[in-house]
Amino acid sequence: MSIKTEPMVVNIGPQHPSTHGVFRMRVTLDGERITDAEMVVGYLHRSMEKLAEERTWTQNIPFTDRMDYLAAMTGNLSYCLAVEKLAGIDVPERGQYLRVLFAELQRIASHAMANGTFVNDCGAWQTPLFYMFREREKILDLFEMVCGARLTLNYIRIGGVAFDLPDEFMPQLQALVDELPDRMDEYDSLLLDNEILLMRSRDVGIVSPELAMNASLTGPMLRGSGIAWDIRKADPYCVYDRMDFDIPVGHQGDCYDRFLVRMAEIRQSLRIIKQAMAQLPPGPFAAQVPLSLRPPAGEIYSRIESPKGELGFYLVSDGGPTPFRWHVRSPSLINLSALREMMVGQTVADAIVTLGSIDINVGEVDR
Amino acid sequence: MIIVVRNLMHAVLLLILSFVGMAGLFITLSADFVGVVQVLIYAGAIAVLMIFAVMLTPRAARDNAGNALQLPALVLSGLLTAGVIFVVLQTEWREASRGSFDTTAASIGDALLTPFALPFEIASVLLVVAMIGAILLVREE
Amino acid sequence: MLARWYDFRDLGNGVARMAQALRDAGAPDGVVYALTALAGCLGILIFVGLTAIVNIWVERRLIGRMQVRRGPNRLGPWGLLQPVADAIKLIQKEVLTPRAADGTVFALAPILIFVPAMLAFAVLPWGEKMVLADLNVGVLYLLALGSTSAIMVFMAGYASNNKYALLGAMRVIAMLISYEIPSVLALLGVVVFAGTMQLSGIVQFQDFYWSWLIFFQPLAFLIFLLASTAELNRSPADIAEAESEIVAGYHIEYSGMKFGLFYAVELVNSMSVSAVIAALFLGGWWTFGLEEFVPGWMIFIGKLYAVYFLLIWFRGTLPRFRIDQLMALAWKGLLPLGLANVLLSALEVLIWQEYDVSAGIVLPIFAVVNFVLAGVLLVAFMRVMTRSFERLPKRARLVPDISVPLPGEPATA
Repeated sequence: MSIKTEPMVVNIGPQHPSTHGVFRMRVTLDGERITDAEMVVGYLHRSMEKLAEERTWTQNIPFTDRMDYLAAMTGNLSYCLAVEKLAGIDVPERGQYLRVLFAELQRIASHAMANGTFVNDCGAWQTPLFYMFREREKILDLFEMVCGARLTLNYIRIGGVAFDLPDEFMPQLQALVDELPDRMDEYDSLLLDNEILLMRSRDVGIVSPELAMNASLTGPMLRGSGIAWDIRKADPYCVYDRMDFDIPVGHQGDCYDRFLVRMAEIRQSLRIIKQAMAQLPPGPFAAQVPLSLRPPAGEIYSRIESPKGELGFYLVSDGGPTPFRWHVRSPSLINLSALREMMVGQTVADAIVTLGSIDINVGEVDR
Repeated sequence: MIIVVRNLMHAVLLLILSFVGMAGLFITLSADFVGVVQVLIYAGAIAVLMIFAVMLTPRAARDNAGNALQLPALVLSGLLTAGVIFVVLQTEWREASRGSFDTTAASIGDALLTPFALPFEIASVLLVVAMIGAILLVREE
Repeated sequence: MLARWYDFRDLGNGVARMAQALRDAGAPDGVVYALTALAGCLGILIFVGLTAIVNIWVERRLIGRMQVRRGPNRLGPWGLLQPVADAIKLIQKEVLTPRAADGTVFALAPILIFVPAMLAFAVLPWGEKMVLADLNVGVLYLLALGSTSAIMVFMAGYASNNKYALLGAMRVIAMLISYEIPSVLALLGVVVFAGTMQLSGIVQFQDFYWSWLIFFQPLAFLIFLLASTAELNRSPADIAEAESEIVAGYHIEYSGMKFGLFYAVELVNSMSVSAVIAALFLGGWWTFGLEEFVPGWMIFIGKLYAVYFLLIWFRGTLPRFRIDQLMALAWKGLLPLGLANVLLSALEVLIWQEYDVSAGIVLPIFAVVNFVLAGVLLVAFMRVMTRSFERLPKRARLVPDISVPLPGEPATA
């Protein structure tokens, strides 16, 4: 005996408390199960890639802040590395170590936000979010101390970094580094062993390793499926080849594994920060870059490991002061391409949890 | 009002109201346990069952359209009501003595377990069969 | 022999004195009955009105504190005027009724949903002589009220003429009627042990044997607590009002004071459930002799707020269950536990009554046995139900180097 039901098309977003920005999904429901999912992006399109062609290479650095606004340092870093490779500029040692230090601090802040909002999507009424925001606030205070801004930093410049560290930076960073392992243990006991969180996110949103490779997913999505791939080890940039850290890898590729991977990456970033603090050499923090930078004609694709995945820049220069083509390989958009395979067959409640575990940033998706 | 109202959903809601009224009748007859159980079972569970059943009918069948049999049905039920009222008024009712109010829950419990133990057990087996049948019907193959 | 009317340790003294005076003055029985009932109703209305306002403040401040923040502190000292501001905001909002909605049912649903919530306060024993309606079937009456509120939820969802509201209402009804059974079984254990369904009788049982029923029925307490959080649509079972779900709940189309009524009903329901737990398991107004000095009803209200604090604690800490996980918890988890509890309690009462053993020997043994069995059963059930989630480790695996061949390198095996 079957009752005739018709599939229902339902809109999730663009205004929804849990879509992490103006992101819209059209899901086709059959009862409670999703049979098809289609994403509609572009609600935050600001045409940065076109605007960047009108501005000089240095004037484009603030654009990279505003793409992934939760991980501005790594956005700056990726772009500046690409321009330096194109123009053949060498960054002094101190600048490279400072870049690594701040990139890892940014990774901790971004993962704290990602995990907090993930547990919020599982229904925990923002309590873990507020707990993780304590650490994020301390990191943002450090950022403000060194460059004056908390979110849109514009700190990593072509040739090095913008400012040197003030005197009170190192003691405050040391205090944070001492306190963070205890805090992480507290979150481990509160969140990682929580049965309800396990029930909500285990076996939900499974990404098989084949799907991850074929859809070119990167970042915690790839590592959650069991594939150990990190650009900091595969294609090292800055001084990552001198740093000693591990790659956390998940078991199955479900939401819980990605959550685990992000929590473990915070600890690994802490290791890198301690090594960078210890090895920080004195000296100049930026190379001398001409005011009107004209890289020789050519093209380059350069990538780094941002908290969301592989953030790549494809730059084409025609020898002039402005880029000829400025393209971003945004990790959130590429990670979203596997959305349909992840969503089909689940219930709507699981869909929200899955979307939270992908950790998208709509500024990066739409640019 | 249940038979007069057009909307089937309203009819079910008014039926719930009449269930509660029946519970009130039980309470005036000093059957406190049965009255509360009436609310618990009828207005709580069976009414939900009826609501689900009504929701499963297609939308067109839910509005009570009139049909040709309305007038004969009214006449027939009017005659039946007159007959019942006549019988009620003519009977010599024996009035029960207004005794003290005992709690009925304990005596019902005793009755269910001692003289009426067999019907009690049969009723529970019937309920188990119904539950198994329901699970079988909605199981996804 | 009536105590003094100004003996505020039991407010029923004043009412009894007034009733005696009226009877002496020759008023007929009906008038005396009506006036005493009116006095009781007035007291309950004052309490419910005050708590509906105070609880908004209590809940928001406590949740704020649990989230490492302060909670409302702008309006009035410590944010005490926040509920007043909330009420004014809701009153002055425009009350929209969807055009295709069922007008009468839409307007009636928020009002009718208040009825069971208020009626539950009538049977609670606030003090030794302070029960408004001392029903012989008090416990069953409370369960009946819980089951009628499911109908009101459906009325609200159906009348909104919104398929998401209807879906939400259907899910909530399924959840409510599933969780009635574990709560009935938990209360059945209590009734079997105490021997009476009268709430004041259960409190007197605890008074007579000088201990709280939670010591003898820990499993029933836990089951009833969990089933009640589901019946109240609170976290971790609050799929009805979950913000992060798309089916937004049965009260999505309500605005203004109608929504305010739904919100207030949730608070009043939490109060009544906390009061039931306090009366049945925590001894009501009786607290090991403390009620000689502190008025019994104040102790009762204190215990009520203690249980309410537990409910707020659940809300602030735990993530939310999915609907099918909730159903699994009710039918596969709480139902067998409730049945085990009833069997055990019946066995114990049988041993106690049939063999006429003295209570002083047998009750401590029962308490210890019940606690041990409750612990064993709960741990066993938890292991069984979460076994599928334990097969994979709960920490990420740390790998020192990449395992995928770089592009351009020959692919090794």
